[in-house]
Amino acid sequence: MLNKLTKNLNQILLAVGTIILALIVGGVIISFSGNSPLDAYFSMFNGAFGSKQRFMEVLVRMIPLVIMALGTSVAFKANLWNIGGDGQFIMGSIFAVFVTIYSGLPPVIGIPVSILAAMLGGGLWAGLAGWLKVKFNANEVITTLMLNYIAVYFLSFLVYGPMMDPKGSKMPQTEIIPQAFRLPLFESGNRLHMGIFLALIIVIIMIFFWKSTVGFKIGLLGQGEKVTTYAGVSVKKMIVFTMIISGLLAGISGWTEIYGVQYRLLEGITSGYGSMAIVIALMGGLNPIGILISGFFFSALLVGGATMQRMTAIPFSIVDIVQGLIIIFIIARTAVNFKEIKNKIVRRMGHVK
Amino acid sequence: MLSNIFTVSFFVSLLASTIRLATPILLPALGQIYTQRAGILNLSVEGTMTIGAVAGFAATYYSGSLWLGILMGMAFGMLYSLLMAVLSVTLRANQVIAGTALNILGIGLAVFFYRVIFGIQSLPPQVEPFQMLKIPFLSEIPVIGVILFQHNIIVYLSFVMVVITWFILEKTTFGLKIKAVGENPKAADSKGVNVSKYRYFAVLIGGIYAGAAGAFMSIAYLNIFTESIIGGRGFIAVAVVIFARFLPIRAMWGALLFGVASALQLRLQALGIDVANQLMLMLPYALTIIALVLASKKADFPSAYAIPYSRKER
Repeated sequence: MLNKLTKNLNQILLAVGTIILALIVGGVIISFSGNSPLDAYFSMFNGAFGSKQRFMEVLVRMIPLVIMALGTSVAFKANLWNIGGDGQFIMGSIFAVFVTIYSGLPPVIGIPVSILAAMLGGGLWAGLAGWLKVKFNANEVITTLMLNYIAVYFLSFLVYGPMMDPKGSKMPQTEIIPQAFRLPLFESGNRLHMGIFLALIIVIIMIFFWKSTVGFKIGLLGQGEKVTTYAGVSVKKMIVFTMIISGLLAGISGWTEIYGVQYRLLEGITSGYGSMAIVIALMGGLNPIGILISGFFFSALLVGGATMQRMTAIPFSIVDIVQGLIIIFIIARTAVNFKEIKNKIVRRMGHVK
Repeated sequence: MLSNIFTVSFFVSLLASTIRLATPILLPALGQIYTQRAGILNLSVEGTMTIGAVAGFAATYYSGSLWLGILMGMAFGMLYSLLMAVLSVTLRANQVIAGTALNILGIGLAVFFYRVIFGIQSLPPQVEPFQMLKIPFLSEIPVIGVILFQHNIIVYLSFVMVVITWFILEKTTFGLKIKAVGENPKAADSKGVNVSKYRYFAVLIGGIYAGAAGAFMSIAYLNIFTESIIGGRGFIAVAVVIFARFLPIRAMWGALLFGVASALQLRLQALGIDVANQLMLMLPYALTIIALVLASKKADFPSAYAIPYSRKER
């Protein structure tokens, strides 16, 4: 018990250290631009936590990000590099809105059906990449990425074409989904919606998922194909299955954004959540609680960064820079063998004596 | 009606723009042939190209020299890929994650410094791009002259690089060593080839090509810089290398295939034909998937593909 506690504490300290290091390097880059890093970070912090409304906005961003990062973590645990979260998010959203607008189902049935449709859209899109991998040995990194572009253009085709709001003023967007289908808001004045509970429930489900046989098998997949074959699991089926799970979570993430925030399909609905979900999943150690915490941190960075850009002359891209740096430090940390370096130093010191 | 559209002049302009649009895929693909042959899967080509695009653009904007722009694109491309080399060769990190991180970082850095250098302007700053260089006599040949010999100099040079890349990889000791460290690093090591050194070379050369291609986009194709200027071409180039089974000549055909897909979209749009434009825009990306599917089973991947090398784990 105590062992586990110190292990967790170590992990948290390492994570905090990584973030601080990334912020320091990011600060150096900010100072290149002739701005003060302290001003930048203060404005970012204030932008995320300065008022109740801003804090609520952090939570709003956190909902789709955490759900998508959980999806990403499923694939990553199996060493499947699904970086197509954006595409799966979009396909999930398209399927869901399609059902809601055209089926005419009453909300009682229509809402659950729209969630299932979102899961189907996201799952199919990721499953396709999984199937191409096992069937044709096509690298999933490239296929999931290409499927992102295809989804983006498909969405754009729909909102400019067949799904464009017939009553709207030729804006590239679908008609708005009826009030009864939307996720209720907590209070007027900010955008926080009930989707936050959905996100928390999914975090809890994922904790149990990793303890289940299925979760265990997915973990095995990540430890090499041989092991999985020995454990009596069909590797090919598991790869497709893992990708589907990963994608359906991205689909749900799209559903929360559409039914909780946007209420319609329009271009650019993912706002680059996909790459951020990768960072969140890795920073969270692919662990549901870790993802929840790192999801909160990165949502704050996102909201704070947007405020900083408005308040100062520092571009928002510093947020991307910090994200990239954090992943680099994480992989550098796990790749460098600290023991080896320590031994080397000890040996050298010995020579000096 | 169709006969009105598919005239000779349509095909001529289609094929001419095919060659132009193949260039920013061909160049990074040629570079990645070195990198992938040496056993490194560098997915950060997209980010490296974006860095090359902003470096080339800024250098040209302030110096007025297009050649300095290309040179700076190459220099910054190489510098940036040094990060990938450190992560993948020295630190033996997971190459997919390293590549993904460097894409996020690269695009972030490029946009950040573009904003810092140029600020926010109502009209995007522009440069005067490379002019068309008509090859004497050859460009006078009807049809073929227009298709092949009326491009800017970078386009010609890129196609010359196909032969040079082939020559270096197939006919020089340097090329042999690059291939050896990707095929069988252990054996190469025992023959006295410094595996890390040649993998560094391979990644840096890939960075130079990618940087040049990025600069091509901002100063020889468009004359502005935007955040999404590369538009997935870096990833397509990585796929082209696999599709081409790591051979320069085939990479050229692969790049031309993507060129034709993009050109078709642009030409049809220019003619005002009502094929939903967004569906046409999907074409190169869908083609990438199809190409990967067709090629991946047959592709003879280097044996040590994407596997870090450590002397201790012999």
